[in-house]
Amino acid sequence: MSKLLTIIGTICFLVLGTFSAHAEKSTELYIPIGQSPGLSGEYTVLGKIDQVNLQNQTLKMSGASGSYTVKLTESTSIYLDRSKVMRTNTYGTLVDCKVGDTVEVKFKDDSRNKPLEWIKVEKAQ
Amino acid sequence: MKPLLVLIGGLVLIIGCHMPTPPPTPDPDGELIEKGRQIFFNETFEGNGRTCGSCHPAGNNFTIDPTFIASLPDDDPLFVAEFNPALKKNFENPRLMREFGLIVENLDGFDDLANKFTLRGVPHTLGLQDTIDSPQGPRTGWSGDGSPGDGSLQSFATGAVIQHFTKTLGRVPDVDFRLPTDEELDALEAFQFSLGRQEELTLPLPLKGTVAKRGQELFLSPTEGKCFACHSNAGANGDPAVFGPNAGNLNFNTGVEDLPDQPQDLTAELVPPDDGFGIPGDGTFNTPSVIESADSGPFFHNNSVETIEGAVAFYNGDAFNNSPAGQLLQQATGSGINLDGTQVVEVAAFLRIINTLENIRQSIEALEPVANKWHQTVEQGKRLLDQAAAETEDSIAVLSGGGLHPEAVMHLQEALRLTKKAQRSLFSKSRYAREAIEQQEKARDNLVEIS
Repeated sequence: MSKLLTIIGTICFLVLGTFSAHAEKSTELYIPIGQSPGLSGEYTVLGKIDQVNLQNQTLKMSGASGSYTVKLTESTSIYLDRSKVMRTNTYGTLVDCKVGDTVEVKFKDDSRNKPLEWIKVEKAQ
Repeated sequence: MKPLLVLIGGLVLIIGCHMPTPPPTPDPDGELIEKGRQIFFNETFEGNGRTCGSCHPAGNNFTIDPTFIASLPDDDPLFVAEFNPALKKNFENPRLMREFGLIVENLDGFDDLANKFTLRGVPHTLGLQDTIDSPQGPRTGWSGDGSPGDGSLQSFATGAVIQHFTKTLGRVPDVDFRLPTDEELDALEAFQFSLGRQEELTLPLPLKGTVAKRGQELFLSPTEGKCFACHSNAGANGDPAVFGPNAGNLNFNTGVEDLPDQPQDLTAELVPPDDGFGIPGDGTFNTPSVIESADSGPFFHNNSVETIEGAVAFYNGDAFNNSPAGQLLQQATGSGINLDGTQVVEVAAFLRIINTLENIRQSIEALEPVANKWHQTVEQGKRLLDQAAAETEDSIAVLSGGGLHPEAVMHLQEALRLTKKAQRSLFSKSRYAREAIEQQEKARDNLVEIS
């Protein structure tokens, strides 16, 4: 019985428990660029957009830590940060990302080789 | 001279016999924890008037339920959706809050507030030291994904302020609320980690009550209750013998969402399905500790079961046995969980006893500084006595509710009487607190063998 329970535990763990205990994305929408607790300044990258490629779903950005070409996927959340103009933040698309926009990006699993988990784009209107 | 010397000697002897016990070594985080306490109960973050304590009050085990909610005045910030025109729609459901203790959460996004939301009970914040860690990172909230940012308990308050403290549905920082600073988040985390028990139980306990003793056997049985597998030592972590070492806190789909006739579904209110962890959800929910359960119902993420006996009985039913977790359990053990009526009551009795033991521990912990005059301020003393009284009331209700240990109940009632005397007294607080501790210990002796 003990061995069977260990097997069930392993299966449960694999099926039900091995996903990352990731953060709740939904309220991230309202957190301004650079203020994500525990992430900004440590695991995210801040910079400005240099180039947007709608076809490849990539954008090129540069910041203090260098230049990056980052990949977006269907699951990447795009947040339009309008807090500086005291307007409600909203969800956006890659079309909303313009050259010169200030952005903050978080990579999946905090690995810069992976696509973006989310991107925040500062908007003045 | 000689009588005077005898008198002085006698006085020295009396004072010597009643030298106060020296205070324990001060907690190095004490200042940070106290700062966190002040923020937790007083800071509104320039929002709608709510504080963390609005939904996590100290006097109700840091959670809310319909009985507690009914005791609040109508202008309490908890009810802000009822009197703030900007929050009248799509912020809370006042009827479901008052009737079932349910709070709105927009876990799947804020793009369709009218239809995209969940209704969840308020989880308590006790024992977090031992209940949220996992190899995949901390699991906060009912689906284990309650925090924004890095997902830590420290970041949790940021998400809570955005979801629950806003003045309008615009949720604009520095307009509708202000975000907590890093220092405030540190303090809040320290305070929350300080609440409740700081270590796990080690089962089996040498229980004295016949019914609870059998309940513990069922709880720990791999062929009958099987509860220990997900609630190791009656806590929130997976049993290492089943899930491997350091399994930590886990999520499971136990089929709660499939329960028929859930109370909130019997109303005409919109109650969208709750898909649990992630966006879109995978149907799993976080495992809570059961040590704190008997006095912190209703139960499960949606408050769908009112009593501890009902919560135990849930695992006999189709909803659990047909769930992914239930199916795996059947495949591995050859059967589902199939406790009969008496056995359900026995397991529930065990849960009532371990909850009472924890309440007694907390009561004594709160009374000792008053008994020994360790507390620094009058306000601290009042807070400690209020906590002791609340925990003792819980102990009485939990035991009486299960028809358990009437002698222990008598001791606890006496402890409560003495605690209330300490609250009212000007000069004898210490004495009454000491006597209350004695009664708590007598009650505890009734429940478990003391080694």
